Amino acid sequence: MITVQNVHKWFGDLHVLKGVSLQVNKGDALVVIGPSGSGKSTLLRCINLLVQPDEGDVIIDGVKVNDPRIRPEWVRQQVGMVFQSFNLFTHLNALENVMIGLRKVKRMDRAGAEQMARFELERVGLADKADAYPAQLSGGQQQRVAIARALALNPKAVLFDEPTSALDPEFIREVLDVMTKLAEEGMTMVVVTHEMGFAHNVADRVLFMADGVVVEEGTPDEVFDRPQKERTQAFVGKILG
Amino acid sequence: MGLKAAAKEIWTRLEDRPVLRSAIAIGGLLGLGLALVLGLAAVGIVSLRFLADNATFLAVPALTSLSATLLSFAIGFAGAIPMGLVRAFAPRILRGEGWRRAAFAPLYGAVTSYVEAIRGTPAFVQIFLVAQVSGLIFPGNPNIPFWGGTLALTINTLGYQTEVFRAGFQSVGQSQVEAAKSIGMRPVQVFLHITLPQGLRLITLPLVNEWVGLFKASALLAYVAVPELLWAASYLGNNRSHPIEAFIMVSSVYLAIIVPLSKAVGWWERKHRIPGLGVAERTVGVGRRRAVVAAGTPAGGLD
Repeated sequence: MITVQNVHKWFGDLHVLKGVSLQVNKGDALVVIGPSGSGKSTLLRCINLLVQPDEGDVIIDGVKVNDPRIRPEWVRQQVGMVFQSFNLFTHLNALENVMIGLRKVKRMDRAGAEQMARFELERVGLADKADAYPAQLSGGQQQRVAIARALALNPKAVLFDEPTSALDPEFIREVLDVMTKLAEEGMTMVVVTHEMGFAHNVADRVLFMADGVVVEEGTPDEVFDRPQKERTQAFVGKILG
Repeated sequence: MGLKAAAKEIWTRLEDRPVLRSAIAIGGLLGLGLALVLGLAAVGIVSLRFLADNATFLAVPALTSLSATLLSFAIGFAGAIPMGLVRAFAPRILRGEGWRRAAFAPLYGAVTSYVEAIRGTPAFVQIFLVAQVSGLIFPGNPNIPFWGGTLALTINTLGYQTEVFRAGFQSVGQSQVEAAKSIGMRPVQVFLHITLPQGLRLITLPLVNEWVGLFKASALLAYVAVPELLWAASYLGNNRSHPIEAFIMVSSVYLAIIVPLSKAVGWWERKHRIPGLGVAERTVGVGRRRAVVAAGTPAGGLD
């Protein structure tokens, strides 16, 4: 479903991604872990072209998407994204946040878009919050609306960029539950997270990145319980502490 | 009850009633003005008779002032959106490479020079300059003072409104733009559906300030022979020898237009406010109201 081949990215002189490759099969969940500054967020942004890779290829469903002939807007409709700080549109209420992509990008009529948006809010358990503005919602609720917004476009895959890192502890569970349900329903997901419980239970594969390279990849058991590389052992030791 | 406690009690009761508050403020203003006029009349400085006889003298000049201001503000508004966009986002494009950089460098330079030129010279000078030039191009045309003056006001407000829009666009977070892109919006859609509506809410107050400033600046058109408010007041003052009455009248007309307008916009802004965006529900408050704000503000705050 998603193939990343030997992707490089420079920001000025900073070599952020140094030849990263990965593969996610349809319906799988890949969890990416690694210290801050290791290039995890940049890697996710290269997949939906919020960041343009300098070298290498990103292939989604058999289409090489970092090709000048492919419109990045089209790619981003295929691959949804959920951000660390939610990034809900502050001037729109929850329903409108979910609807706007359907209306403006998919060009659906109002009634159809509203029906679909209400369904997506229902899926994340927020049908009763349709009229609330982001500032009136808790962090956990905002993040669930953000997930509904990404799902509304019916993407082939969803990218999660540390979706629970900005949340107060009491709201983490509700977001992880939504994500777990999504994985069980067969959504293809790439998740940057440090939630080890989630990674253990939900991930099909875990990938450990450091300094812009993939250090180690394997099943959750392999990476967390029997890491082969020294750097992985050190990092896993710290976070499982 | 002490005086301080009584004042606090009255304030608390008025908190939830912005319309009543405005009415009291306007009523107070009217009362003060009336007291001033009657006082001056009592000592023989002001003729009430003259005021009564010329009560409607300023109606047509007021329309002239209003037309020039509304027209130039509207044109300036339309022009300031693209120019503010250039001011806000061209610097980022200029840090990149390729044809975009080559295209935007002169554009950014031109818009910035324009803004600096307008902000760095007196409006009076701009008005004179435009009046002289348009007088040379269309000699003897009786409509030229008005249209030249309106053009000068347009040139002036365009510079200031450009900076208002620049600030508005820049204060829309980059994370909002990234989220809009992530659902597949094209750059034009991101601007129309995210940056513009959020930016407009953030700049309502500075835009009203600019309108009020422009309306008052339109008085300068009196000096290039536009028959507007100040021109008419000067006529009354000089030719009919009642300058104090004339300037009391003209001040009243400015106040009668500006104060209700500001109050109306403030009322509209509060009525249509979106939690967490733009104007705060109440910035100062005691008692009940503070509790309301707190209840509407969940963990994570209003960011």
